[in-house]
Amino acid sequence: MAIMQKKTEQKIAFTFFRSLSLVVVAILFWILGFIIYNGAGVIDWEFLTTAPSDGMTGGGIFPAIAGTLYLILGSSMVAFPLGILSAVYTSEYAGNGYIIRFIRIMTNNLSGIPSIIFGLFGMALFVNTLEFGDSIIAGSFTLGLLTLPLVIRTTEEALRAIPDTFRIGSLALGATQLQTIRRITMPMAFPNIITGLILSIGRVSGETAPILFTVAAYFLPKLPQSIFDQVMALPYHLYVIATSGTDLEATRPIAYGTALVLIIIVLLMNLLASFLRKKFRKL
Amino acid sequence: MKRIFERIIEFALIVCGTITTLVILLMVIFLFKEGTGFFRNSMVEKGYALCVQEENPVDELTSAQIKQIFDYEIENWNELGGNNEAITPFRLEEIFNRYPEEEWGENYELLPGKLEEIINETPGIIAFLPVQYLPKAKILHDEHLLPDDFFAGSEWIPTATPAPQFGLLPLLMGTLWVSFFAILIALPLGLGVAIYLSELAGARMRQFLKPAIELLAGIPSVVYGFFGLVVLVPLLQKSLHLPVGETALAGSLILAVMALPTIITLAEDAMRNTPQAIREASLGLGANHWQTIYRVVIPYSISGISAAVVLGIGRAIGETMAVLMVTGNAAVIPHSLFDPVRTIPATIAAELGEAPAGGAHYQALFLLGCILFIITMLISITAEFISKRQPNGLG
Amino acid sequence: MTKQFILSTVILLTSLTSMEAQKIKGSDTVLPLSQKEAENYMKEHPSQTVVVTGGGSGVGLSALIEGTTDIAQSSRKIKFDERQKIQAGGQTIQEVIIAYDALVIIVHPQNRVANLTREQLEGIFTGKITNWKEVGGDDLKIVPYSRETSSGTYEFFKESVLKNRNYKSGILSMPATGAIVQSVSQTRGAIGYIGLAYINKHVKAIHVSYDKGKTFTAPSIVAAKNGKYPVVRPLLYYYLTKSEKQVRPFINYVLSPEGQKTVSATGFIPL
Repeated sequence: MAIMQKKTEQKIAFTFFRSLSLVVVAILFWILGFIIYNGAGVIDWEFLTTAPSDGMTGGGIFPAIAGTLYLILGSSMVAFPLGILSAVYTSEYAGNGYIIRFIRIMTNNLSGIPSIIFGLFGMALFVNTLEFGDSIIAGSFTLGLLTLPLVIRTTEEALRAIPDTFRIGSLALGATQLQTIRRITMPMAFPNIITGLILSIGRVSGETAPILFTVAAYFLPKLPQSIFDQVMALPYHLYVIATSGTDLEATRPIAYGTALVLIIIVLLMNLLASFLRKKFRKL
Repeated sequence: MKRIFERIIEFALIVCGTITTLVILLMVIFLFKEGTGFFRNSMVEKGYALCVQEENPVDELTSAQIKQIFDYEIENWNELGGNNEAITPFRLEEIFNRYPEEEWGENYELLPGKLEEIINETPGIIAFLPVQYLPKAKILHDEHLLPDDFFAGSEWIPTATPAPQFGLLPLLMGTLWVSFFAILIALPLGLGVAIYLSELAGARMRQFLKPAIELLAGIPSVVYGFFGLVVLVPLLQKSLHLPVGETALAGSLILAVMALPTIITLAEDAMRNTPQAIREASLGLGANHWQTIYRVVIPYSISGISAAVVLGIGRAIGETMAVLMVTGNAAVIPHSLFDPVRTIPATIAAELGEAPAGGAHYQALFLLGCILFIITMLISITAEFISKRQPNGLG
Repeated sequence: MTKQFILSTVILLTSLTSMEAQKIKGSDTVLPLSQKEAENYMKEHPSQTVVVTGGGSGVGLSALIEGTTDIAQSSRKIKFDERQKIQAGGQTIQEVIIAYDALVIIVHPQNRVANLTREQLEGIFTGKITNWKEVGGDDLKIVPYSRETSSGTYEFFKESVLKNRNYKSGILSMPATGAIVQSVSQTRGAIGYIGLAYINKHVKAIHVSYDKGKTFTAPSIVAAKNGKYPVVRPLLYYYLTKSEKQVRPFINYVLSPEGQKTVSATGFIPL
């Protein structure tokens, strides 16, 4: 009797957990489905390659796509070298001194800091103090800082996953530490590092709060000519056309299209990351 | 040659490590420097002063009193410890209606004289004037903004003249309110999924669920906000017959979905770390699968699960765009889930662009940033502390 | 690393030689107008670049003071202290009226209330009147929607309708006018204020009286032009006198008959 009761209890509990998982999946499909259903009809070649027109009710979102690509490129230039090299330093060279522990705690906590604070900081430092103005360079630095902890952490984790025996072996064979890093540790950690970098690109492409005050333009149909120009960006574009505009009904389709493009970018990045992960695992 | 090269590379690595640290420190210093500068501002808008007649016995007013005077809510000086005299608030713009432009002089040099005339004519006057045109009159003592005004203030009206109101309470309460309910919704859902993923799901189900959750984490917050704006807000309003659709509830629901991936991933990791030996011991003693989960696996991984929840809260507290788009942004201390609320991140995002650099409003927003920073720091430290604790409690 | 360095140097150098874009920043009310004008202007003069950004009138004017924009678009007159700041920096400022805009008070289409006086509006937005039955409507809670504090519309409404009193604390604030239109169209007890250009069939415009209820006027381009509708404001461009040469061609275009045609097409009142 008691066993039967426990069995039913288990059955109920497990069904409950299974259905909760289905609920989460259902939420995901609801959001994705809604955006895809409404946005798919909007996206065509013209939508992707022309500038907005007729007071944001017509045309496409080309400048915003281009702007987002510029920002991805710019922030990667800031975050990738700095982040990877810092991680190599902290995990391969530096011992376990106070400074290193301090850096580690800081980067760890930095990854939990809300993106709006990066926007606040970016505006104060790059836009106002260094007088870059609203510009690609200010936005790239801000977004770069935002992803820096992510890059450092994934690189560190990738490096830490490599057993020390490889390092010791290499050093014992007479290789210098740098040679060990270049020939042994880095190549081994590479797949995981790359996945981390790709995911950080996905994050950069969707962030709105840090670019609000550092780079984003409402309407700029031309491509930027220098790094001191403003650009449009996809997430900001979605925000403005979702909340402003004299004719909301006419702007809605464009908002759906923009949201879909954003999701597609994130989806592609995720797919690419998991594809690479699988491919490297096989090797 | 090779040695030198090696030295250079090593040096570059050290430089990079240092730069990163410096940047992080710089960020903290910058934030707090601007933020604490807030308390050096005076109560009345910068460059302005409040004047009364020489005979008026009142020497100083609080920021809230000034606001109420100019809103005609305090109408007699005796409410403020003065004579029984009706208060006449006066703003500089009103002089433009009284005297034609020619009478002010080329560079407004006749303005102080005119203002003095007006002040002398009106016994209960309180005039809000720019400092460079102050007439001969009694100037009210202008206090610095006090920590009390900020931390215990219950009104957030940053552009009110003459005395902007920077009360933290409604924003802080709004932030905590929305995040609290978000976690309340996300917790059972997230834990259930985590249990399912770590204990029950087969390999194929995992292969399907894991990427789905990663994708949920990857959807940009502005897309969530947009979805909330066009789907959730009207839906809630219609189905619950709410007077307002933009409510804390809408914000909490969106935030719950956004915090889910954090909670699921971390809680699942924690549960998977339960040693196989312990599980087998439990099963060997005759406990069934479910009993093993809730008597052994969950207690064993409770610290990891709590850390997951804490970090989920952190994610919800700092979220900006989605909340900005669905919560109605009313700076009022919330009393129910169906009230609109204004959160700290949304306030920064909505107002930073407008606040002139270096002014009281700008610094107030930085101070909000500091507070948000401290809250999220505390959260990360708590999470770290909890997850480091040795699992005990095996009963 | 070196490659990146060279690349960025090259980009930097080209940036110094290229023509500078004109930046317009400020009021969200003027935003759709400036955007359309810029669109058409660039079609006619492909060599020119005009960047349009919103943020609110206050943002535009403070950007002008800080030198981060060339033209500040504003839906309110420059404030006394903003003018002082510019003079303190040794600059002079030019003001151009490019169009007029009527501020329309909107409610849900099913709301029975059609007329409101200024005093009633003041009561509603300062929180003294909280139920529609107090102004002749159904027994329904009033939900006032406001704009964010940076907006010129917020300031103008406060000056003109609230007579400088503060909005009730905890009023719902929307980041942009479009959001107000949407919220009011969904919310039974809602009331909000928007520019004439934003009005659509999903919201109802209130007839307003500024003479204590003697005459109520419906908002329209005609009524605003002949002065019958009371809540009308100029839309303005501000620029520093020293940048006159740079910005004048665009402003002249906006003031030209062609530019004014766009004004009407966007739903504003031409000069």
